[in-house]
Amino acid sequence: MSLVAEAFVSQIAAAEPWPENATLYQQLKGEQILLSDNAASLAVQAFLQMCNLPIKVVCRANAEYMSPSGKVPFIHVGNQVVSELGPIVQFVKAKGHSLSDGLDEVQKAEMKAYMELVNNMLLTAELYLQWCDEATVGEITHARYGSPYPWPLNHILAYQKQWEVRRKMKAIGWGKKTLDQVLEDVDQCCQALSQRLGTQPYFFNKQPTELDALVFGHLYTILTTQLTSDELSEKVKNYSNLLAFCRRIEQHYFEDRGKVLKKHSRWYF
Amino acid sequence: RPGGRTRSPGRWAEAGRTAARCTAPGSIPSTSHSLACDPAEAWRESHSFSARLRVFSALKALWLWRESRAPLCTPGAFGEKVPESWAYAKFSGAPLKVNVIDNTWRGSRGDVPILTTEDNIVSQPAKILNFLRKQKYNADYELSARQGADTLAYIALLEEKLLPAVLHTFWVENDNYFTVTKPWFASRIPFPLSLILPGRMSKGALNRILLTRGEPPLYHLQEVEAQIYRDAKECLNLLSHRLGTSQFFFGDMPSTLDAYVFGFLAPLYKVRFPKVQLQEHLKQLSNLCRFCDDILNSYFRHSLGGISPAGQETVDANLQKLTQLVNKESNLIEKMDDNLRQSPQLPPRKLPTLKLTPAEEESNSLQRLSP
Repeated sequence: MSLVAEAFVSQIAAAEPWPENATLYQQLKGEQILLSDNAASLAVQAFLQMCNLPIKVVCRANAEYMSPSGKVPFIHVGNQVVSELGPIVQFVKAKGHSLSDGLDEVQKAEMKAYMELVNNMLLTAELYLQWCDEATVGEITHARYGSPYPWPLNHILAYQKQWEVRRKMKAIGWGKKTLDQVLEDVDQCCQALSQRLGTQPYFFNKQPTELDALVFGHLYTILTTQLTSDELSEKVKNYSNLLAFCRRIEQHYFEDRGKVLKKHSRWYF
Repeated sequence: RPGGRTRSPGRWAEAGRTAARCTAPGSIPSTSHSLACDPAEAWRESHSFSARLRVFSALKALWLWRESRAPLCTPGAFGEKVPESWAYAKFSGAPLKVNVIDNTWRGSRGDVPILTTEDNIVSQPAKILNFLRKQKYNADYELSARQGADTLAYIALLEEKLLPAVLHTFWVENDNYFTVTKPWFASRIPFPLSLILPGRMSKGALNRILLTRGEPPLYHLQEVEAQIYRDAKECLNLLSHRLGTSQFFFGDMPSTLDAYVFGFLAPLYKVRFPKVQLQEHLKQLSNLCRFCDDILNSYFRHSLGGISPAGQETVDANLQKLTQLVNKESNLIEKMDDNLRQSPQLPPRKLPTLKLTPAEEESNSLQRLSP
């Protein structure tokens, strides 16, 4: 969007308060949603919980196609539709709620840098695992991605998506990576996050920010999703402060408010 | 012996003088432009025991794209971080030889920069940095764990936000590409490739930008361009805030992050473009400009482009002298070798910054060569 259009949208956003019937759309939880989408969706949910904004989660098979940017999740607030964590954070800020107001410029720079790190490494690794690792693709991804659709549409859509993701991976240089290298990258990323978190409750000490929401979304999903092998979650489990961090956010922002994140939420410890 | 590396007196001569492993293996090397990095500095390094061992214990040559008309290399279309590797190696004191490659058949597969040692070949900048670190050329020794984490985060930020715009400025923006980048590259590579390779790199850059940033709701190339330049300017602002008034990103010693940032900013800052949107923005951020200038002056003084043939010979002569002096010391070093190798990893010596004025350059380096 151009600067003018963005300013315009912000203006409209600021005009109305947050409604009660805001909804978040994602794919079908049980059968269809994949690792990366689940992580993104959970991050947005966590962020909205942290801002104390009510949101209802609605699962639709065609959520990806409804979204304005082709990515899930997206929220439908009033008569506006916003997708992906970045724009949602800005949208919520325009409405007057923000988690990162208390940070100074250097801290904001750091926060943005860490968010990019998570997107760059964790999200890309998840995508790689889902779409470029043959074992996972065959066993899990294809079956799940096309599950709401009849044959042959389910196969066609799955292959199309796979082709798209592989093209992107090649463009950014991940096409030639092996699974071990990807896992090493994940390990490096988790190590960086763990070192940054240290012994603090949240990344910027007392108050959670969108970075906490994003990290929680990804780590929780990795820890509680069963894949063909446990290697990915093993990498995260090496860092006890990250585990404690996830547990803390789950308890504080979800369980205590009566929201069940997963029906059979098992921590694969 | 650790690492299984053998050290023989003959190697010292090699280490001091070897520059010429440029181009692809098996093809005819052209060595007329090989330069050593900073012989005077390398000599000063050698005066501390631990540094001596590390400096002369392995043979390293670095392949780089090198353009004599412009001071620095461009970021390649496939995200090759050529100046970063170079800068990092300088910061940590690793001896490396910058080689001009005239023959690009190997590099055309996008494998540049490449670090070759006697044992192995490492490509890709992140691996090169890791390799240098494992060989104990560690510019990050004094960083805390958290600063190391910050480094990774900022590198991710640079790659995500700044790289698309830099790629665009160099390879996609028509005016820049056809007037600066393409003739520049084409002049350095042999005939058939000079027609194909720049075009391919340009398409690769555009492809990468569109695939990673060109998703809906941005349907038009102009919208994508507007977005990536906006992100890049924001990223530069963030870097400027982070740098503040300090000399380097983490205190007084340069580190990996400084190498990365320098690698991105320096070409952007120095190359003269017709369309200068991003450059203008960068020039407004005075602390980033000062950062680039500082590093250029301190670490790249000897390697800046535009060295005349006469200057070239003087550098070679210095190198010869250095080699001879080094040979004399080699035996002593070998004896101390084992003892010092057993000791725990030592912090790097502080690299004194070179501030040489052009007139005194040669005489100063000559003076320093005498023990």
